[in-house]
Amino acid sequence: MSALDLRQIKYAYRRNLALGGVSLSVQPGEVVAITGASGCGKTTLLHCAAGILQPQSGTVSVGGQDLSLLSEKDRSKYRRSLIGVVLQFGQLVPDLSLADNVALPLLLDGHERNAARAAALEWLDKVGVADEADAVPAELSAGQTQRAAAARALVTGPAVVLADEPTGSLDSRAGQELLDVLLKATRDRGAALVMVTHDNVLAAVADREIRLRDGVIQHEVTLS
Amino acid sequence: MCIVVGMATAELVLGLLADGPAHGYDVKRGHDTWFPDSRPLAFGQVYTTLARLARDGLAEVVDKGSEGGPERTVYAITGKGRQHLTDWLTDPVQPAWGSADEMLRKLVAAVRTGSDATGFLAKQRASHLRRIRELTANPADDDPTSPLVRDYLVAHLDADLRWLDNALERLTEQKESRR
Repeated sequence: MSALDLRQIKYAYRRNLALGGVSLSVQPGEVVAITGASGCGKTTLLHCAAGILQPQSGTVSVGGQDLSLLSEKDRSKYRRSLIGVVLQFGQLVPDLSLADNVALPLLLDGHERNAARAAALEWLDKVGVADEADAVPAELSAGQTQRAAAARALVTGPAVVLADEPTGSLDSRAGQELLDVLLKATRDRGAALVMVTHDNVLAAVADREIRLRDGVIQHEVTLS
Repeated sequence: MCIVVGMATAELVLGLLADGPAHGYDVKRGHDTWFPDSRPLAFGQVYTTLARLARDGLAEVVDKGSEGGPERTVYAITGKGRQHLTDWLTDPVQPAWGSADEMLRKLVAAVRTGSDATGFLAKQRASHLRRIRELTANPADDDPTSPLVRDYLVAHLDADLRWLDNALERLTEQKESRR
């Protein structure tokens, strides 16, 4: 069963068609890079997969479950537990400490506060920023906040991690370190990793590259 | 700007014969039109390349001209030569030091002869990504220069990839504007 299955996803911003019917299946443990020039629809596709945008037609299935068949409440819960999202600039809650940011998805899912904090600290340790657990994002470097964002995406044990230009705001060394963290964490768990990137060196770590142009798949190559 | 002539000259000459028989002067002029910013192809190299292609059965003499000198000899591509050209235009270049020149040659020849240039670019792109993947899969050897060499290779492959992406975009736009 596919970890993530997108079928004929269409999305338009007013009259501008961003996705013209994109289908994509990602297997458990697979790393997929979505590439293409600016405006090709790659971020829109990731946001549709993540539930940040609702496609105007087509289906998103995670672990075999078509999300459109669930109630809004169940869909949110399903997404929170099965999909982890890392955005380009982290998008952490500015007033919360790193530990509270990472614990947040667990608290929203009803986990007990101490257990959520313990899990958050464990993940902050795995991504190498445990010493900064009580700092707020503004006190940290871009690399440190991106690591915390990765920890927040991984803490629920998702089946799919979606990353939008995860290293885009980092220099090459910090970017490589974050990438190593994401690859290790997803491979260890057999989770799928889907990365949107314009960085060819980042795309080269993927098992498969999907290249978009004008909202459709231009070509697809297996790299592994 | 100067592109070193040498590698793949035989295949380029086959590409220049693909539209029809030509003598050495036409081949030289055609080459210099395809690569206007590169070093002109020397007559001596044209004639030795044509003679080698004929020896290998990839081209054949179809007319020796009234005076019979090498400059009036007309060559045509053979069936074997056309197959060799098609294979060359389709195969991606092994990504290695100095491979960019051959990629450019193939791309120009593919566009000029009406071969599947965008298909070639897609294959070349995949070949480059796989090479970067190989180079970055494991840490470089723990010596003073191995990381430098690897960084150099990856940076050049990355630059090639950006050029390949731009080329693919240009050719796709050209194709769309002709529709």
